[in-house]
Order: sequence, then structure tokens, then C-alpha cells
Amino acid sequence: MASSTPNEVESKSFRERILRPLAVPLLAVFTSLVIGALIIVFTAENPAIGLDKLGKGYWGMFEGAFLKRNGILNTLVVTSPLILTGLAVAIPFHAGLFNIGAEGQFIMGAFTAVLAGIYLDLPPVIHPIVVMLAGFAGGALWGLIPGLLRAYLGAHEVINTIMMNFIAFALVSFAVRGPFLDPNTSSVQTYPIQKTAELVRISGRFHIGIFVTLLVASVVYYFLYKTTWGFSLRTTGHNPNAAKYAGIRPRQQFVLSLVLAGGLAGLAGSLEVQGLTHVVTTGIRAGYGFDAIGVSLLALNNPLAIIPAAFIFGALNIGGDFLQIRAGLSVHIVSILQAFILLFVAAPSIVRYLYRLKVSGGVAEGAPVTRGWGG
Amino acid sequence: MSKKRMSLFVLAILVLSLVLAACGGTAEKKVCAVLDTGGENDKSFNEFTLKGAREAADKAGLEFAHIVSESDADYEKNINNFVDEGCGLIITVGFLMGDTTKAAAIANPDVNFAIVDVDYWPGFGCDEGVDSCYSEEGGLSNVTSLMFAEDEVGYLAGTLAGCMSETAVIGTVSGMEIPPVVKFVVGYQNGAKAQNPSIEALNVYIPDFNDPTTGKQAGETQIGQGADVIFGVGGNTGNGGLLAAHEAGLMAIGVDVDQYNTYPEVQASLMTSAAKNMDVATGDAVTAYANDTLEAGIQLATVANGGVGLASYHDWDSKVPAECKAAVDAAAAGLTDGSISTGYAP
Repeated sequence: MASSTPNEVESKSFRERILRPLAVPLLAVFTSLVIGALIIVFTAENPAIGLDKLGKGYWGMFEGAFLKRNGILNTLVVTSPLILTGLAVAIPFHAGLFNIGAEGQFIMGAFTAVLAGIYLDLPPVIHPIVVMLAGFAGGALWGLIPGLLRAYLGAHEVINTIMMNFIAFALVSFAVRGPFLDPNTSSVQTYPIQKTAELVRISGRFHIGIFVTLLVASVVYYFLYKTTWGFSLRTTGHNPNAAKYAGIRPRQQFVLSLVLAGGLAGLAGSLEVQGLTHVVTTGIRAGYGFDAIGVSLLALNNPLAIIPAAFIFGALNIGGDFLQIRAGLSVHIVSILQAFILLFVAAPSIVRYLYRLKVSGGVAEGAPVTRGWGG
Repeated sequence: MSKKRMSLFVLAILVLSLVLAACGGTAEKKVCAVLDTGGENDKSFNEFTLKGAREAADKAGLEFAHIVSESDADYEKNINNFVDEGCGLIITVGFLMGDTTKAAAIANPDVNFAIVDVDYWPGFGCDEGVDSCYSEEGGLSNVTSLMFAEDEVGYLAGTLAGCMSETAVIGTVSGMEIPPVVKFVVGYQNGAKAQNPSIEALNVYIPDFNDPTTGKQAGETQIGQGADVIFGVGGNTGNGGLLAAHEAGLMAIGVDVDQYNTYPEVQASLMTSAAKNMDVATGDAVTAYANDTLEAGIQLATVANGGVGLASYHDWDSKVPAECKAAVDAAAAGLTDGSISTGYAP
């Protein structure tokens, strides 16, 4: 393939700056929907039934995610944790690390948030903020441990973040069944947080957490691209040795990136508790931390692009229920769609070949793909 | 086919399907089921609830839809989606959905709810002061609880165990000490004693439904004390008891569903299972809804109405002597006509 298409003019047009980078992700989503449609049609009893199911299912998916009462709001409700956990994957990516632990960090954040919500007595406004900080701290701790292990012992962060997930599952499961079990309800759950710690719900399940999330995403963007700290972090990701020669300490950057990532995932857990569940249950494993890897990949690890990417995943998540509700299809079709989206984003040449796209000049803004073992 | 034709073809499929979808009409009554995370093929509560509800809805010509919850944070969302979809009867499954179903029922008084295996009583699920939760003042006048007479089917299992035991010692490895488990155990022990007054009935409650290791140890202890029939009453914990009996080459009795299908490892030792027929119970509720005769309150599935009963003997059909089968049948007849009481008092 032709690898160099010199930019004609230096002043990049809108088309060049915005549309080009969007082409592959958007076409990936579209292509996945087409493949999903083919799967639905050809796995049905006969094509006529398949077409009927496809129509009902896809229309239901669209209506459920956007049009129906609270549809778009429900989508935004799940978009919020996906943005934060997406950032929790993207930031370590920029430092050259792969964080598989967002799920565990999310859970720990939810758990510490619940504790702060139950046991602290604080006035409104202040209480929610303290609870968010507690959630951030819980997640950050879960990022700190693999961060330190990576930086000072060279233990691979992929293994350790995965292991930390299991520790978080087990720890919270124990705490929920044991010391913090609320005996006054039929579910296995903790006591609810105090009213003062809850986030305001605007309509249905839609709570104000998403505004916190958007603010945080903007701050992260500013941090990564407009501050010296962010520059050091990204430089470490591109080349730790070069960073060292430039006076940056890669070890610190490794730890910092995972602590920050853990904190953001923890904040996501905290917002989920404050806005939605008000308790932690044994079913807290919502999978946001794993979907986040896809979100981050779809966004090419760009903190601002994570917002629309999370929105797409959120819409698929909410709309996906209607594949089953309206057409009796398995909700797992959505997982297939998401997997294909990732496949096409990870292997963009497939999409470029299908749609005859030219290779764009610079996708250089994307973070480096993490290095191999021991790199 | 050229690339261009191919894309046109795909586009045509998409457009056509949207058109077809828009033409779909909606029936007047709609039945919807929210399953728990176990999913459609759990060979247990969810699978049989779905089966019963779907078959009854099809038979009555009602529209039917269901959804599997991905996590227990999804219950509220799934129930609300079905309310929005215009479902007239929403069926929910299991203990964990108790609170969410209650909240949804109060928020949507025009929708009927049926919940499998959960009941509400004053102070638990509704106000302390009311006589009945399933009333206007109790707030749940649109809720039907599909409950099971565990003591009755436990009694049948006990009759069989009392008849089959050679050592005259039988055991139960039980889960948490909550009403449905206690009912199974009491019925089982009384059934066995009615069959053989000198029988010794051992029991242990283990406060966890997912601890097969402790369950197995408890089973081994009971076997050490001479038990030769083990009744496992507590999900995976009870399964540990079944496994202990199986490994010792003794007799086991399963619970809730036909465990011959759900726990094939112990098939050779499994005489039968004390089954709750969720499909019958939910099917009856759906049919009642179709005929506008669904009532709020507790609908008890009993031996008499076929809602509970012993599962097939399977491999033990030839090994259970005719007199024991006759004893079980006689006990079932007695429970049906009311001449036998299980001795369970709440």
C-alpha cells in the first residue's frame, strides 16, 4: 500500500481534520451493523422471518437508544461510565501501558464511594463531592498497586491489572455478603448511601453524573495535550529511553498514569452508585471496564474522541435490549457488533479496502500501541 | 455480483426490513418476562418460567416478549422498558427481583406483575400496619406471587427416603434458613417419619447457597452418622451434599428442578428431585391473565394442582420397589385430598 500521501496544503481543511479521522471508525460501525444484519437474517428459521426480525430488532434498537421515552437519556446514563472507564484505558495507553483493570478499579471506586456515602455525615453539595473523591481514591489505589509493581519491579501491568480485577470482585463480594449486608431487603446488597450523597436525577434514571464526566474528560484532554505533565507522559509512551534522556522519569509516569486511570474508573463507579444504584450489590460487575477497552480503541485513545465512541457503545448497549424485547433475538448480538467494530478499527486496512479509502496523512496523534512483553 | 450491486442488495434488505417492521401490528394484551442473569438456558427457574409463560401466551394468542438481565443493576431498566412497551402482564423471576418488582408495581398500578418465588408480607415489602400487602392499602393490588408448597413436595421426597433408607438415618444438606428451605426440610422429615416412625433425620443449615465444599463436608458428616439418603436443599451447597452421597455410593434426592438434567455428575445416585414446576405455575398465571381472572395475592402451587411434585425416577425407576412408589403415590393422594398434613407451620 502507498504509505505516503504528502499533504497538499499545510492548512488542513475541515474535511482533512475532522472527516478523515472519523471515516474509519464510522465505517467500522456501519459495516458491523451490516454484518450483524446478515447474521440475523441467515440464522433465522427462514429469510422472511429473518428479515422481519431484523427490521423489528434494528428499528427497536434505534428507537430504544434514541427515540422512545427516556431512550436518549438512558443511553447517556451508560455513556457516562463508558467515557470515564474509556479514559482509564486511554491514559495508560499514552504512557505505553495497557490497563485491563478498569473493571476492578470501577468496582473499588463504587465500593469506597458507598462507604463514604453511608458513614460520613456531611451537608448536601459537599457530601456528593466527598463521595466522588472517595470513589476516585478507591479506584486510584487499585491503579497504584499495579503501577508500582510495573515501575519498580517490572511486573507486567496486563497480568497485574487483571489480577487486581479478581481481588476487587472477591473483596467486594465478601464485603457485600458479610459486614455491610443490608438485612432489610431481598437482594444481597449494602446499606444505601445517605440521601445527602445522592446525585440529582433529572428524569427517569438520568442523573447529573454525565456533566461531571464531561468536565473531567475536558480536564484530561487539557492535561494530556496542554501541560508539561501530559507531555512527559506521552513522551514516555512513545519512547521511555528518549524520555529518560530528556530528564523525564518513566517510572513516575507509569505510576502516575495508572493512578489517574484507576481514579477515573473509580469515579465512574462512584457516579454509578450516587446516581443510580445507591447501593453496591454482588452484581456490580457491569462490564464497563471491559467495554472501555473497545471505547478507547474506537477513539484511537483520543480523550475527546472517547466521548462519541462511548456514546456509540452506550447506544448499542441500551438499544441492544430491544433486539430481544422486540424481535426475540439474543442480546449477545450486540457483543458481536461491538467485536466487529473493534476488529475493523484495529485492522483499518479492511475498512479502507472495502470502501476504497486512501490512507490519510497523519494518524500520528493516536497513542502508540503498547509495546510487547517486557518492553 | 459487482461491489456496487452488492451494496445495493444490502441496502435493499435494510430498507425492506424497516418497512416490514413498521407494518407490524400490536395485540391488545401483551405478556412480558424479565429473566434473571441465569438466562434462558439455566435449566432452572429462568428457563422454565420462560417456557411456561411463552407457551401459555402462544396458546392464548397473546403477544410475548422477554429479556435476560445482564446484571442485577438492569432489573429496573428492563421492567421499565416493558412498561413502556405496553406490556399488560410482566413476569419477574426470583428473590433478587423482589424489591424492584415491588417498586415497579407501585409506580405502575395499571400493569399486572407476577413474580416467581417471592411473596410480600406486612413489614417485608409493604407497610407494617396493613392486613395484606396485596390490597389497595398495601400498595400491591396488581401483584401476584407465584409460590410453591415446598413442604408438600418435601413430604413426598421424605416418604420416598423413609421407604428406601436401610439404615433408618436420612440427611438434608440445606442452604440458608429461609422459609422455602425450612419448608422443604420440615416436609421431608415429617414425610419420612410418617413412613417409618423410628427414622432419624439429620439436618444442617449452611448460610450460603453457593458453597459446595461445605455442603459436601456436611454430607460426608451425615453419611458418617449412618445416613444413606441425602436430600440437597440449597442450590450449589445442596449439590455438595448430593455429590457426597454419590461418591459414597448412596442415594440422593435433588431439589427445585429435575436435577438429573442440571447435575448429570450424580445421575447414578439421584433417585428423583423435589421439583417446583415453574412452567406450570407461570403458565397458569398467564392463562388467568388472558381470561381476565388473574388475581392479586399469593397463588400457591401444590401437589394437587400439579405445581410441585417429584420428578421422574430416571435410572432409579427399576431400583425403587413398587411398595415405595405406592407409598409416594398414596402420600400425594393424601396431600391432594387434604387427609395428610405436612406438619409445617410458619
